[in-house]
Amino acid sequence: MPTVKSKKKKSKKEATDGEEGGGGVEGEVEEVTSRRRSDSRDPLTPEPLDPAPQKKKKKKRAPTIDLEAEHPDVPNGDMELEWEETAPVTRKTKRKKKAKATEQYCNDLDAEDDDIIADAPSPIPQHSLFSAPHGHSQPVGKVFVERNRRFQAERVEQLRHSEDDYMDPRQIWTTRDIALRVHSSFRVLGLFSHGFLAGYAVWNIIVVYVLAGEQMTTLQNLLQQYHLLAYPAQSLLYLLLAVSTVSAFDRVNLAKASMALRGFLTLDPAALASFLYFIALILSLSQQMTSDRINLYPTANETLWPPGSEQQILRPWMVVNLVVAMLVGLAWAVVSTRPDIDYTEEFLMTMEVEGYPRGEDNLDIPA
Amino acid sequence: MLQTGNFSLVLLIQLTLLAYDLFVNSFSELLRGAPVIQLVLFIMQDIAILFNVIIILLMLFNTYVFQVGLVSLLLERFRGLLILSALYLTLSICFHCWVLNLRWFQSNRFIWTDGLQALFVFQRTAAVLYYYLYKRTAEYMGDPRLYEDSLWLRNIFARTRQ
Repeated sequence: MPTVKSKKKKSKKEATDGEEGGGGVEGEVEEVTSRRRSDSRDPLTPEPLDPAPQKKKKKKRAPTIDLEAEHPDVPNGDMELEWEETAPVTRKTKRKKKAKATEQYCNDLDAEDDDIIADAPSPIPQHSLFSAPHGHSQPVGKVFVERNRRFQAERVEQLRHSEDDYMDPRQIWTTRDIALRVHSSFRVLGLFSHGFLAGYAVWNIIVVYVLAGEQMTTLQNLLQQYHLLAYPAQSLLYLLLAVSTVSAFDRVNLAKASMALRGFLTLDPAALASFLYFIALILSLSQQMTSDRINLYPTANETLWPPGSEQQILRPWMVVNLVVAMLVGLAWAVVSTRPDIDYTEEFLMTMEVEGYPRGEDNLDIPA
Repeated sequence: MLQTGNFSLVLLIQLTLLAYDLFVNSFSELLRGAPVIQLVLFIMQDIAILFNVIIILLMLFNTYVFQVGLVSLLLERFRGLLILSALYLTLSICFHCWVLNLRWFQSNRFIWTDGLQALFVFQRTAAVLYYYLYKRTAEYMGDPRLYEDSLWLRNIFARTRQ
């Protein structure tokens, strides 16, 4: 991702600036001078001076970790890379330093330590001062990442992989992809809804006919048993029918009138299913009054359920429910033959700025 | 240019409002224990429809096509949704007022007449068409062509000027 890279670069620069301009400079100077001192003296008196550089090296480690904390957005892997980059420079300057120091040492063999320090900083290039000590800058497998306000050790490879995994999808996704994804998610929901609705409608009508008995002789039994279920069943039926109808309309791309009409005329499965669902929806809605009447059966008075009127009220209701069940069952079967048809998705796929010729025929369509 | 994150957020809000609308349309009849419950549900439903219309209008105003001045192009394309939204909102408000008026003093009584039944069928059918068109338009608003200059837009502009 270009933006991230530029950020990384920027942060890298900041990190270097931080190293250069920060409080680490004094430590570095001390480090280099002490190193130079120890190098120059090693051949003569190696033993007594050994512990001192060790201590200073240990001290040096703390400021570098602080620097990382000051720039939390700098990936640690990058810091290490930077260390690797600067390491050869350090080696070169060290050799130079070593050579110069030896010469000086030969000339002023009996000179004081302070004199050597005073002369030393001027010939050293500025950049080498700010590089990390060579002995401790070797990249290790672990880096320290700030998480939940704490630094936790993590392997470099894992960190890089996780960064890649996180960054890649965002980089690729556009608004069109999101629209397509939402659309395909709804298509899956719709597919589930088609099947569930068909099964539910068939179950419902079987229950009703079983409760009604042979030749509808036990309608009182149906009313007593089914009155609790009538209204929830009606509500669920509307919910499923609404989702299924929208899904079927999506498949046929109903808003594009010419395409939808062509689908109807050629008995396209998606167009046929849309038609069947829409009819089923209207038929189901038309039974709302009767469903409420059944729902209120226990509290009913004679005006709501006059004696002997059960058959007259319930027969059309059962027939309409049977038709609805058959319609949604048929629609489900039709959709199942070609579940991959989705003209709206194809339409959404043409949304490209450069793809003018592809999208041209879709331009004048009212949404 | 429309940002992906912003578009996702707006789409999420729109779909949430649609889902609430569908829920109320499906189950409001079951939640009529007290008339005040239905009152609150219906008010929120009408506000949700209004919000959805406002959101889609704001998105239309945010397009490059609109800023260039091709309002007629947008109106032509989204006319169906705008008309149906207005119709659905009107039908919903009418149905809600009617139902609440009849049920206000006794919530669990039989209120259905032929007129109310007809209004109910129209309102619920318009709701399904509204869901379809709104969802489609909300997805269609992710079209990158609406937010930047393109050959397509230039051709439309040239055609309009002629």
